[in-house]
Amino acid sequence: MYLTPLFLGLPTVCVVAFVALPLLAIVLKVLPQEHLWATISAPLVTEALRLSLLTSLSSLVIAIVCGTPVAYLLARYRFRGLRLVETLIDLPMVLPPTVAGVALLMAFGRRGLIGPWLQAVGLQLSFSTTAVVLAQCFVCLPFYIRAAQAGFRSVDPELERVAHTLGVSVWRTFFRVTVPLAFPALLSGSVMAWARALGEFGATMMFAGNLRGRTQTMPLAIYLALESDLLAAMVLAALLILVSCSVLLCLRALVRRGEPAAYA
Amino acid sequence: MLEVCLQKRLAHFHLDVTFTTGQELTVLFGPSGSGKSLTLRMLAGVERPDSGYIRLDGTSLYESALGRHLAPQQRGIGYVPQQYGLFPHLTVADNIAFGLTHLTRQTRRQRVAELLELFGMQGLEHRLPRQLSGGQQQRVALARALAVQPRLLLLDEPFAALDGVLRDTLRQELMQVHARWGITVLVVTHDLADVYALGQQILVYDRGRILQQGTQEDVFMHPQTPRVAEFVHTRNILSAVVERSEAQTLWLRWHGYVLAAPPQPLAVGTSVHLCIRPSQVLIVRPERETTRRRENLVRGSVVRETMQTETYTVYMRVDHSDADSDLEIHLPSYVYYRLGLDRQKRLLVELRREAMHLIPSQETAHHATLPTCTAASLETSARHDGHRVHASPLGRR
Repeated sequence: MYLTPLFLGLPTVCVVAFVALPLLAIVLKVLPQEHLWATISAPLVTEALRLSLLTSLSSLVIAIVCGTPVAYLLARYRFRGLRLVETLIDLPMVLPPTVAGVALLMAFGRRGLIGPWLQAVGLQLSFSTTAVVLAQCFVCLPFYIRAAQAGFRSVDPELERVAHTLGVSVWRTFFRVTVPLAFPALLSGSVMAWARALGEFGATMMFAGNLRGRTQTMPLAIYLALESDLLAAMVLAALLILVSCSVLLCLRALVRRGEPAAYA
Repeated sequence: MLEVCLQKRLAHFHLDVTFTTGQELTVLFGPSGSGKSLTLRMLAGVERPDSGYIRLDGTSLYESALGRHLAPQQRGIGYVPQQYGLFPHLTVADNIAFGLTHLTRQTRRQRVAELLELFGMQGLEHRLPRQLSGGQQQRVALARALAVQPRLLLLDEPFAALDGVLRDTLRQELMQVHARWGITVLVVTHDLADVYALGQQILVYDRGRILQQGTQEDVFMHPQTPRVAEFVHTRNILSAVVERSEAQTLWLRWHGYVLAAPPQPLAVGTSVHLCIRPSQVLIVRPERETTRRRENLVRGSVVRETMQTETYTVYMRVDHSDADSDLEIHLPSYVYYRLGLDRQKRLLVELRREAMHLIPSQETAHHATLPTCTAASLETSARHDGHRVHASPLGRR
């Protein structure tokens, strides 16, 4: 027991310090700057912020709309190839984002696999805002789907069946029973997916490029600004930290209120 | 009236049952894994059979021949699963009102209030299920199922999660609900006490088949197979052989004894299972041995005894025989002491012929299952129609 402070306490302190210090450094560097407000309202920053919010929220909506049925299917049904589908969906989580970007370019790019067909119907995806959303979806979908799948699996299918025997339609049952009970998982999955989309850099860079106002999201703007305008880079970084922290705190509060354990 | 014929083949299990039941409280009784719950789920429509039919009061809910399979929403069947299936995120009132989507807010509230009152749960409407006791949870589940006014109510092991005293109370409540609503109620249980307390009609399940259907009297006193006899705790199932058949008496040979049994048309040499319930074995006090004409007197000694709250269970080793033919005897504790069984362990018992029930063992193969509605078994059911009271629906057509 005498070893506890040494073997458990010390590493904990080190890890916490290691994570906290860089974050603190940015804030401490940014706050005393004179032209802080001017930098925040500079077009580089505002446009990146606007674009980041627009694209990451769009990606989140797409992930929820397309990912929820997939997650429910994976949670409720056993079929041949289930493992394969699961592995495929997991893949973007472990894939280096730059590889994802190249892969997207090879598929949807102008000379890509189905790029010419898309062009024939007037769709030019690469190096557009749509490409940013596509890149973000590609990397954030697995986070949402896997969390939602676990959430749906934790809901006893017997409850859905009982609802059906009470004359309640399949859809109503889904929204009145399944979703509320899986809500903590759906919420944390959404937040994880959104955070992943917000921070997406590699795939966007490869597939969408770095065009200000069109494809230059905050992480890309930081990368660009680091060479020309260090303060802008730091301000953008500080903004991202602020957003991440507040989202994480809100999520924790919300999930604690609706914890599944509270129903047990 | 509910007419059911269902087949379902699973990986290691084959369900094949046929039965008809009316307004009575019907109990599906049998060991776990015998297909009782599966039957209930198929009736509720949440599981699809391979073939067969389900007809409720003349309307067909499932008919494999017509490809008809009504969704659970269209069946009007109340289903209360094991553990009750209450929605954990909804209050008692919202749980009960869950199926009442088509009503106005006003009527809905009124209906919920009526049901809360009926089940004595006023004041609990804003509680969540986890804040309720087991008995209260069960009442909410019942109220929720009854709220939508089903034509048939299905309950899966309703008392399994409750303790003794509460079970009795809730069994009484269920009887009242059944009497009041006048709907068909099917209860699944593996607890013999439920069968005693509730069963007006009993279906004895075993390995996906119905071994016997009948009233309590039928099933407890006249089990048709040794397996049913075992399930209803007949305990004393003795192997005997027909020695002689007379107009008044059937004589059976059993371990050096020749026992007089009620007359039955059985050939000499037929092996029979002689069933006698432990509470029906009469202990004769030695000084009373000749007070009246007695038959089937068996001597032995007590080898083991256990005490329950009000009764003693005594195991008697019959003289000159082995443990296989031990008799189990239940007797009230005051009888136990009056007989002096606490001091001396010799016993003289009478196997009264009125208490005997015989199951011919050769015929068990034929009697093993009730007829099914498949074409293959049509012949069998026709052949046995003569002595089958609960004929299959095909038989009656």
